[in-house]
Amino acid sequence: MKKKAGPAWWRKAIVPAVWVAAFVLIWELAAFVLTQLLPPTLAIQKLPFLHNIAVTFVSNFFSLLESGWVTLSKSFVGFGIGAAVGFLLAVLMSWSKVMEKLAFPYLIISQMIPILGLAPIVYNIVRDGDVSRILISAYITFFPIAANTLSGLKSSGQDERDLMFAYAAKKPTVYRKLLLPSALPHLFTGLKIAAPMSVTAAIVVELLGTSSGIGVKILYTLYYGANGALMFWSSILMAALLGITSYYIVFWAERLCIPWAVAARKKAG
Amino acid sequence: MSGAMIEIKDVNKVFKNTSGSETVALEHVSLDVGEGEFLSLLGPSGCGKTTLLRILADLLAPTSGRVTIKDKTPKDVRLLREFGIVFQNPVLFDWRTVRKNICLPLEIMKKSKQEQKVRADKMLELVGLEEYADYYPAQLSGGMQQRVGIARALAIQPQLLLMDEPFSALDEFTREKLNEDLLRIWRNTNKTVIFVTHNISESVFLSDRVCVLSPHPGRLSAIIDVDLPRPRRADMRGTPEFAALVAKIRNSFEGDLA
Repeated sequence: MKKKAGPAWWRKAIVPAVWVAAFVLIWELAAFVLTQLLPPTLAIQKLPFLHNIAVTFVSNFFSLLESGWVTLSKSFVGFGIGAAVGFLLAVLMSWSKVMEKLAFPYLIISQMIPILGLAPIVYNIVRDGDVSRILISAYITFFPIAANTLSGLKSSGQDERDLMFAYAAKKPTVYRKLLLPSALPHLFTGLKIAAPMSVTAAIVVELLGTSSGIGVKILYTLYYGANGALMFWSSILMAALLGITSYYIVFWAERLCIPWAVAARKKAG
Repeated sequence: MSGAMIEIKDVNKVFKNTSGSETVALEHVSLDVGEGEFLSLLGPSGCGKTTLLRILADLLAPTSGRVTIKDKTPKDVRLLREFGIVFQNPVLFDWRTVRKNICLPLEIMKKSKQEQKVRADKMLELVGLEEYADYYPAQLSGGMQQRVGIARALAIQPQLLLMDEPFSALDEFTREKLNEDLLRIWRNTNKTVIFVTHNISESVFLSDRVCVLSPHPGRLSAIIDVDLPRPRRADMRGTPEFAALVAKIRNSFEGDLA
């Protein structure tokens, strides 16, 4: 057997560390090349040095966090509403074939309307940044949840259904004891897809010109040329962190809600 | 035999597939099973043994013929939850611990928490899994999982236990161990057992009677009494009497087995 070098954490960390180092190096190199080719104000607008962005990000962290929190909290409300609607739709569609035939084609069609077109329409109608953000976040969330939960509700095998039938379980009992628990991993797949999307949806609405949020910071700093460039990139960085945060919140919720998946990795002797 | 527990009278089962052609799964099957009997349905695949078991469990309806269990239809027996069933796969719910899996039918029957606990404890002891009560199924070996499946089937204290090739996915060593465990459980609980298998020596080791089914179409070609003394022990598998019964059963198959 070949002996592996270094402790476990080191072997686990080495691959991402190389990726990050390469990324930073290429960015800094590209920024340096630009400063040699273009006048300084133009170069900074196109691609500022990463270390300059980092400094701006850290020194403006609390103001960025405040804007980010506005965006995240609105998108979370929309995410919650969208998830609830998507979940209920999935249960209804699995409960009755008629319901599925009625609703499913429209669900597919609803996903063909681009969010970039829908957001201004909704904003124009409700004329309220908060409500629009929540609505658009909910709109983008419900479909992946509905589709994944529906396939989850259909995922249990014939044997499992036969077992419930043999014990003369009624339909609500079959849902509670079999179909809903077996749909849970699928539901979480949907939630993990939808969580960063719901943040993006809220930012799209903010780009239309609401009064607060990280999207507004992105929009305004974009117009300040060289002066806004570092803040612009810092806002983008914050927006990316919001998406990642939302994903990991769902990721950890999944680990709490599906303990048997974690336990399954520890096999008895 | 007076007052058979299960009466199967001239049962036929025909499956129609989508292209309209018909497959005769069971043809003129008649059989009585006595109370407390251990009966095997033995045959190669396609002989209709599982179909017959599923008719008893009300998972399938016969095309013609009559089945009664204690003078009731299989559907009534199912609604009264008077049989337990064990499938080829353990069919345990991943999200439930061993204890909660055993409690599943009791929860469906809305038994009190207290009664659930008492019965689960008893079943865990019966199948020798007390230490694993709080494990999840994925943490157990195949043999242990199937023992949980048996414990769950027995938890509702049924008079009748239906078993559909319960050990066929297990290795030979585990299978023989579970055969002995099953006989011990059967002795202690006094159930009527219908046991579907394609393994001749397994059917001989376990049963009072072996019903040999032949395929194309599925029909009952012989019923063989197993007069080996009880309790059966593992070393009986090596005796000439055992070998003679296995040979007798092998010779009783009719028609094309290929």
